[in-house]
Amino acid sequence: MTDKNGFFDLSKTTLTRRNALKGLAAGAGLAMAPGFVRYSQAQSSAPIKIGFQSHRTGIGAAYGRWYEKTTAAAIKAINAAGGINGRQVEVIIEDDGTDPGRGAEVVGKFATQHKTDIVFGTLFSHVVIGSAPAAGEAKMPYFVVSEGHHVASTKLNRYVFQPGITDVKSQIQSMAPWIAANAGKKVTQIFPDFAFGYDHRDYLPPALKAQGAEVIAQIAIPPTESSFTKYFPQIPAETEVIYHVMVGPAVLTFVKELGEFYGSNRPQLFGFIDSLEATDINSPGLEFLDGSHFWEGSPRYAQPDDSAAQKAYRAAVGIDDNGAAVGDPKDVSTAAHMFGCWETLYVVKKAMEDAGYKGPEDRAKLVEATEALKEFAEGPEHPQGPKTFNGKIHQCFGIQNISKVEGGKLKVVHKTKIEDGLYEAEGDYTTQAL
Amino acid sequence: MERSSPAVEGCRWSLALLSAALGLVLPTPAFAHASDRGHVLLLPTGYYLIGGAFAVAASFLVLALLPPASLDRFWRRRLPLFTFSDSARATISLVSFAGFVILITAGPFGSRDPLSNPLPLVVWTLLWTGLTLLQGVFGDLWSWLNPWYGPWRLLSRLTGRGDEVARQLPQWLGCWPAVILFLAFAWFELIDPAPDDPARLAFAAGLYWLVTLIAMRVFGYDKWSRGGEFLGIFFSMVARFAPVARDDDGRLALCWPGAKLLAAEPLPASGMAFLLLALSSVSFDGLSKTFFWLGLFGINPLEFPGRTAVIDSGTLGLGMTFALLTAVFLLAVFLGQRLARSDRSLAQSAGLLVWSIVPIALAYHVAHYLTALLVDGQYALASLSDPFALGWNLFGTADMQVEAGIVAGAGSAWWLWNVQASAIILGHVLAVLVAHGFAWRLHPQPTRAALSQFPLTVLMIAYTIFGLWLLATPTVG
Repeated sequence: MTDKNGFFDLSKTTLTRRNALKGLAAGAGLAMAPGFVRYSQAQSSAPIKIGFQSHRTGIGAAYGRWYEKTTAAAIKAINAAGGINGRQVEVIIEDDGTDPGRGAEVVGKFATQHKTDIVFGTLFSHVVIGSAPAAGEAKMPYFVVSEGHHVASTKLNRYVFQPGITDVKSQIQSMAPWIAANAGKKVTQIFPDFAFGYDHRDYLPPALKAQGAEVIAQIAIPPTESSFTKYFPQIPAETEVIYHVMVGPAVLTFVKELGEFYGSNRPQLFGFIDSLEATDINSPGLEFLDGSHFWEGSPRYAQPDDSAAQKAYRAAVGIDDNGAAVGDPKDVSTAAHMFGCWETLYVVKKAMEDAGYKGPEDRAKLVEATEALKEFAEGPEHPQGPKTFNGKIHQCFGIQNISKVEGGKLKVVHKTKIEDGLYEAEGDYTTQAL
Repeated sequence: MERSSPAVEGCRWSLALLSAALGLVLPTPAFAHASDRGHVLLLPTGYYLIGGAFAVAASFLVLALLPPASLDRFWRRRLPLFTFSDSARATISLVSFAGFVILITAGPFGSRDPLSNPLPLVVWTLLWTGLTLLQGVFGDLWSWLNPWYGPWRLLSRLTGRGDEVARQLPQWLGCWPAVILFLAFAWFELIDPAPDDPARLAFAAGLYWLVTLIAMRVFGYDKWSRGGEFLGIFFSMVARFAPVARDDDGRLALCWPGAKLLAAEPLPASGMAFLLLALSSVSFDGLSKTFFWLGLFGINPLEFPGRTAVIDSGTLGLGMTFALLTAVFLLAVFLGQRLARSDRSLAQSAGLLVWSIVPIALAYHVAHYLTALLVDGQYALASLSDPFALGWNLFGTADMQVEAGIVAGAGSAWWLWNVQASAIILGHVLAVLVAHGFAWRLHPQPTRAALSQFPLTVLMIAYTIFGLWLLATPTVG
């Protein structure tokens, strides 16, 4: 994939968080940028305003920092290539404190105070669920990057979209064929005893069953637990694969104790990188994970067969070959998820251009234009891979990566097909009034 | 990636000092702590808890065996330096005030991002976290940097009216106004849903500045500084720990850390409440994020519902922590009095011994806010170059890369934990030392002095363990 449009040619200007986010990247150099001439006759020169509902503080802050970096890089690239409909894009950050209560307030503020064109960027599911009604009420297109199934469940409203990252139901389902064929047929699940874990508890067994494998035990761990040895005897002896999705500060303890429990003779291990997102895979205590497998949305480590688009994306965001901040190797990114910000913004760009979007009065047109999207080709705008979009459930579907921990790195050993993650639509947002 | 030149580096340091000078008022760093508690859970923290308890107990025993008079002489040693006049005080305060005006203007008119707007970063990170530490090292910088002294002097000169016509604050009021204001501050910092919101903070800080200036005009600068301006009272209490002393004639001297506390007069009930509130608020800040605390209220820490969902439990917890610490402290002093068969009043003994809380409060401050200072401090330096988000780069720091990795990973967790644990243990050992000095003042007979300290030492051992546990246990954020 080549960078035909020059999206990533940022050499003329230094990428900085500030000017990217403020949409100040204009200037003489821009007039030369590809795409600029095409839109130079646009009616309005006022910037498109994107309200970024950001987890700047609270439990989501580590993710929030990388979502912000990725967003800044994407906006920089979009503006450098002429913006959207010839207009520069300005991002306004409001901190939601990773707090559903504040989330709704922030959406309201974007609608009435900042008068943004859309709201974008939310990760934590409970904030999405808490904010969605406010977005619906304000008739504010709300583009989340959450991976939760809540959007696709069609239980939110017509203004909520998740076009840049796949949902957890699809992710789990698409793991099943590989697990059954390569890891083992008898699977024991260990998960935290709350909503995040329940997604895995509920979606994996039927998916495995369809592949001729089965879940033979499900072990729910209380969220406040910090020692796990007492739960391990519940793992059936015939277990071939342990499917683990623990999260929180005790994950390292969990892995260490699991290692002590099994020693060198262990079943296969399969996990979701959510457990260790933004954590160095080579941290003390994680040695036991060597040789185990993880789901990754987008690979943390640079891969030998990375596309030009993937390489350019990583350079633009500022992550090195180990997935850490360039120049700050201990600052490990949230690579598996944050690409969703980049891709979502390009979906917004496409939809706004398709809709001939001019301002907030066209929000309904933007919703319809987004719903009309069908697929996104892999490339600079979608470096993680190709995707399809189901406008009825406002959710995209894409490929997933299965990576093996090998030599202290995560090496992609399998890429799923888009079809692996498809499921029956549970409803249809397009029947709702705008 | 940009590498900073020596010039930029130098600029950052001068900026750090400048920003401390610009600083002003109220609330806190929310849950922005970037440290990774998961790595700490793998460290042998249990040994530190036991070791810390032993260290504090041992220091009590050693002190009990040492001849008090020679120890006292040793501790009161001074190394005279030079005279430092306070002629520039009003000017510096005016500069600080100008900086404050810029900051509270940036609040509503600058970036909405709390990590780009300089107001929350300066207030919570540089002032509340950073300046407190500087006060503990260099002494009462705040008396120079506060944004009221200069404007007050200016107003006095313009109106030809100073403190001489000020209304009297009733004696019984003590510093209760400051206790109430500090409680409001702590609530805003720890419980309010959005203390980092730049506009919200600008309103709170601006209002506090105005009310304080009016109170200073009405009741006199010195009176209100000692009775109502809680930041100044907090900072001056912390400054008593500093190894730098300055007498009334402006002569500077070096002394042992905490030695200045020994010269302190007994605090009235309000002063005692203030110091205990200072320690209990930072203690509760730690406690409120533990899995243990959240579990009491049935809150899932892995899906923490945010500050808006814990306002009631937080308010209750803050109040209860204060009440509990006060009760336990008074009980320890009371039991000590009984053991030593002292005829001094509880108020007098407690008012003196409460000064031994200062090293502990400072230690908690260091331990608790260290990671926030290291990361948010960088954001602060960047933000000051472009306070209004207009694309400026006043000090060359606007585009500096914020290195969050400084507190990330197992290696950082190890040294951060060791610094934090050392601070907690050292703070309590010094507290025992200070309390011992006071005990000797209260009970010149060595055996009685030692006996009187026994219950308070037990409390300090318990608080050492509690402090280390707060740093070692699973937390949110």
